[in-house]
Amino acid sequence: MPPRLQLSPVFRVHTLPSQISCRRSYASSSATSPEIYDVVCVGGGPAGLSLLTALRSSKLTSNLRIALIEAQDLQKNRLRDPSPDAYSNRCSSLTPGSVRNLQEIGAWSYIHASRVQPYQEMQVWDGITDSRISFDWTSASPLPFTPRKLSQPTTIATMVENTNLTTALLARLSSLGGVDIFSPTKVSSIELGSQTPDVDLSSWPILTLSDGKSLAARLLVGADGANSPVRTFADIQSRGFDYNRHGVVASLKLSGPGWGGPDHKTAYQRFLPTGPIAMLPLPGNMATLVWSTTPERAAKLKSLSANDFIAMVNAGFRLSAVDLEYLHTLPSGQEEEVAWREHHTPIKEKDIPMKVVHVQENTVASFPLRMRHADTYTGERIALVGDAAHTIHPLAGQGLNQGQADAAALTRTISAAVATGQDIGSLLALEPYNDEQYAANNAMLGICDKLHRLYSVESGPLVGLRSLGLSAVDSMGWVKGLLMGRAAGG
Amino acid sequence: MAGRNPSKLVLKLQTFTARPQCQCASVLRVASHRATSTTSPILVRHSSTTAYHPPQQTSSVDPTEVSHFNALASSWWDPHGPSRLLHLMNPLRHTFISRCLDTPALPNDPPLPSRLRYLDVGCGGGIFAESAARLATTDSVIAIDPSAEVLKIAQGHQRRDPALMAPGRLTYKNIPIEKLPVGPSEAEKYDIVALWEVLEHVNSPGPFLEHLMPHVKPGGWLVLSTIARTWTSWAVTNVMAEDVLGIVPKGTHDWKKYVNENELRDWFDRKEGWGQNGAMKVMGVMYVPGLGWKEVPGGEGWGNYFFGVRKDA
Repeated sequence: MPPRLQLSPVFRVHTLPSQISCRRSYASSSATSPEIYDVVCVGGGPAGLSLLTALRSSKLTSNLRIALIEAQDLQKNRLRDPSPDAYSNRCSSLTPGSVRNLQEIGAWSYIHASRVQPYQEMQVWDGITDSRISFDWTSASPLPFTPRKLSQPTTIATMVENTNLTTALLARLSSLGGVDIFSPTKVSSIELGSQTPDVDLSSWPILTLSDGKSLAARLLVGADGANSPVRTFADIQSRGFDYNRHGVVASLKLSGPGWGGPDHKTAYQRFLPTGPIAMLPLPGNMATLVWSTTPERAAKLKSLSANDFIAMVNAGFRLSAVDLEYLHTLPSGQEEEVAWREHHTPIKEKDIPMKVVHVQENTVASFPLRMRHADTYTGERIALVGDAAHTIHPLAGQGLNQGQADAAALTRTISAAVATGQDIGSLLALEPYNDEQYAANNAMLGICDKLHRLYSVESGPLVGLRSLGLSAVDSMGWVKGLLMGRAAGG
Repeated sequence: MAGRNPSKLVLKLQTFTARPQCQCASVLRVASHRATSTTSPILVRHSSTTAYHPPQQTSSVDPTEVSHFNALASSWWDPHGPSRLLHLMNPLRHTFISRCLDTPALPNDPPLPSRLRYLDVGCGGGIFAESAARLATTDSVIAIDPSAEVLKIAQGHQRRDPALMAPGRLTYKNIPIEKLPVGPSEAEKYDIVALWEVLEHVNSPGPFLEHLMPHVKPGGWLVLSTIARTWTSWAVTNVMAEDVLGIVPKGTHDWKKYVNENELRDWFDRKEGWGQNGAMKVMGVMYVPGLGWKEVPGGEGWGNYFFGVRKDA
């Protein structure tokens, strides 16, 4: 790597009294020379941390001077004294591709292994017609009429708490060292630099931090979430819409570890007209809920007592859409109402998740669902990763995985640029990153959006067609193999 | 996505060997060497038909060619400008140099230093010079070009990267190669002397190359890229790109001046002290729309290619 240049400090004139105050005020404002960095990453979420860890763990990019700026206290958000009966309500389903990448950058060994849960089966069904598709690697074959190979994976995806992941990434990052971490520190402003006789920083973003420091970025990475200030600075539009749906999450305890025991776990998702309800397995009897529903119903669910809430979640997997609609109109007493209705509804218990028996305190929460896609992921000295680039419907659990794939792709692009002496912030050097990720993410955003729309329909020919589709795919092992391969991230 | 536009696709397809703009602002022409034979342009050149040569001219620099590249100066660093294909080709130059440096030396040869000295002849706006100067394995880069105006662009762009402003890292010089003093000691010569997209614009490639060769350190490499003189390249660069589509200014390329890979090879084979022990490398490349520049085995026979030869230690 080329040597870093420390800009000369502002020259102060002491001999002419009339000029002192002027010079001093100049020097005390933004005139202090910015620190020059190769990569400044704003945002210490999974995507940003994964990017920096990858850059630090590769010899080729280990000479880059890197800064991380995170508004929240990264130390505070670490997983501490984890109890096996308490889980964060923000969990993600990591594809085998994401896990492989985390292994490659050396972060996976820092994960609290007892708190992750791989699952081997996925049950998805239509809440209106009960038409069902089940995914597992045994019934999915790679090609028509070929038996499954023993070397094929058995894991569909791995559930992990987001804090477990970020804690592991941070641990790996600090073992690698070499990143200047500013946390908790806010970005006060971003503006383009200026020209001096020595150097022309007019294309470099200069970040002023809340602690007064000033950083110049050869490459400014926006890993700063859906409302990305970096994206705003770069004048990159993000287009999309709100689904008028909220995702209700909660950490739950079930009556058992699942129908397949602790070694064969299943994820369940039922498409209701208001959105899908999903129960994803965690270790032991624990599970995490993601229920996409209208904002009004989300508010109702959050207002219920623990027992009524539990009853509603159990009903969400068992009762009809009509029953559910009625149950949401009751101010309280869902527990008794659901118990009575369950007796009159035919239920195959082994096709659905085991009953919820407990909801962990303070874990029922909701967030609005959006679909957003930035017009581009790159600009001159700018790259966007993760939610700053795209926000997706959570129904396929792809959001965090897309961010991990972004980080891996951007790492490849930066490495190639370093190897051939390109300026890693130049638009031309960043082009491969945009080419690699944009179309792939756009397709996934589109698929999840279409699925959401398809299953929002309650009646009419579409309902019959979608059931036919699910049943057809379910009986064709090789189509499932194809779909699962895509979902597995490689 | 520009690549989605069908008309642009066609343009790219037609220009895959044309390089719409030459990086060689330093189109150095040795005016004194003129002959009418075209048998092998490496030895003697067909007279240039369009360029203006004052009879008394003694410098190798053709003022017509220099002004041609001056006009392109301002767009040199525009990633979507006329130099885009050159920008995209630049990483391959480093790939090729790495391949040359990996060629095993003779058992008694001293190893190359861990940090290399580069001379970039005809550096233009500095696309290669900047990239070479950023490499961790680089000691210094001297980049020369006869056009002062193009060098102004290069130096202006250099100031945009503090890493390139470290003293001695990257130095531009407005000087033709024959006036560049040869380092008095071997250590002051260069490990890599690069000549990118220049040779096809030179009237007398042989004498021109002889100006470069003394600057190469024993054990160092002379690397170049150019284009083969074939019917394909004639049709694409002269007829299609210049006459039909007009995407390359007329007169940019004189097909008769293109040099074939086997001509270069034969020429260096006859040179004492060059390319021993298989230290002559070639790599054919081609621009594929949507994929970029790709290595094409055997492509040196009919299109763009890289050529490298080591000075015996």
